[in-house]
Amino acid sequence: MTELLARFAPGLQEWLVLCAVLYAIGLYGLLTRRNAIALLMAAEIMLNAAALNFVVLNRFTSPQLVDGHVMALFVVVLAAAEIVVGMAIVVALYRIRNTVDISHMNYMKG
Amino acid sequence: MIADAVYTVMFYGFSAAVVILALAAVNMRQLLRAALALMGMLALSAALYIMLRAEFLAGVQILVYVGGIVVLIVFAIMLTRSSELLEDRPRTLTRWYGGVSSILFMLVACGALCTTPFPVQSDAQPAGDEVRKIGLALLEQGSAGYLLPFELISLLLLVAVIGGTVIARKTRPRNQPFTTGGDLRGEAIVQAARGQGDVTPGDRHS
Repeated sequence: MTELLARFAPGLQEWLVLCAVLYAIGLYGLLTRRNAIALLMAAEIMLNAAALNFVVLNRFTSPQLVDGHVMALFVVVLAAAEIVVGMAIVVALYRIRNTVDISHMNYMKG
Repeated sequence: MIADAVYTVMFYGFSAAVVILALAAVNMRQLLRAALALMGMLALSAALYIMLRAEFLAGVQILVYVGGIVVLIVFAIMLTRSSELLEDRPRTLTRWYGGVSSILFMLVACGALCTTPFPVQSDAQPAGDEVRKIGLALLEQGSAGYLLPFELISLLLLVAVIGGTVIARKTRPRNQPFTTGGDLRGEAIVQAARGQGDVTPGDRHS
């Protein structure tokens, strides 16, 4: 049993496929959700998958360096900044239009 | 041998949990539950980081995502009353083209990833001093350093903080003096100034 499991130890391809699956799930949420906050949540899933991808490639192709880690840190910080501004816009839009349904947000001017 | 087996079991277990929670986060109609699923998904991603020997990133993930971003999302859900109203079910057509395009994307990406030969160093192990190396790389000016992006990102954070505050603050009606006491106090000051004429010396000429 342990031999069988050890033979299927995850390599680079398995990790990358996991990242691709997570990214595709985020894409699905981005395409089908109608609430603006849910859209931002889906974007968070995609950003998380991208950061994980950086770390995976760093671990398997150049484990002595930390460039992938630094990039993942930048992605996390960018995600934080994006969500702050996105949430502020959503709350301001809710105050003006009384809805967060993006199918109603088709005006540039409130 | 045992370690490899345990690693395999942990990888597939955590991966399945992360994928299921991500699916829940994009499919649930109650947004608070979706935010909870997102929190679980991000916390389990920290476990994946630990499996990749990126312990510092796992800590950052927990601190920033689970501690900050999810709390912000929950606040926004409550402020916009999205938790009271169920989200509209996406139309069948929307769901179909979203699902088909994301599955197509996944297939293309997986095909490309599985056929590309990456220069994998399977025997090399991380040295174990990643935190020290990250700190040095962030402050190094040379070609291997990230000093300029590091400083730029601090500027970006400042811009995000100011922008978020300015966009989300309450807008006040025109011809109203600026106060730090909120809109009601400003309105009271304006009405008092219009009624009597001498409330504060600053309001007399308005």
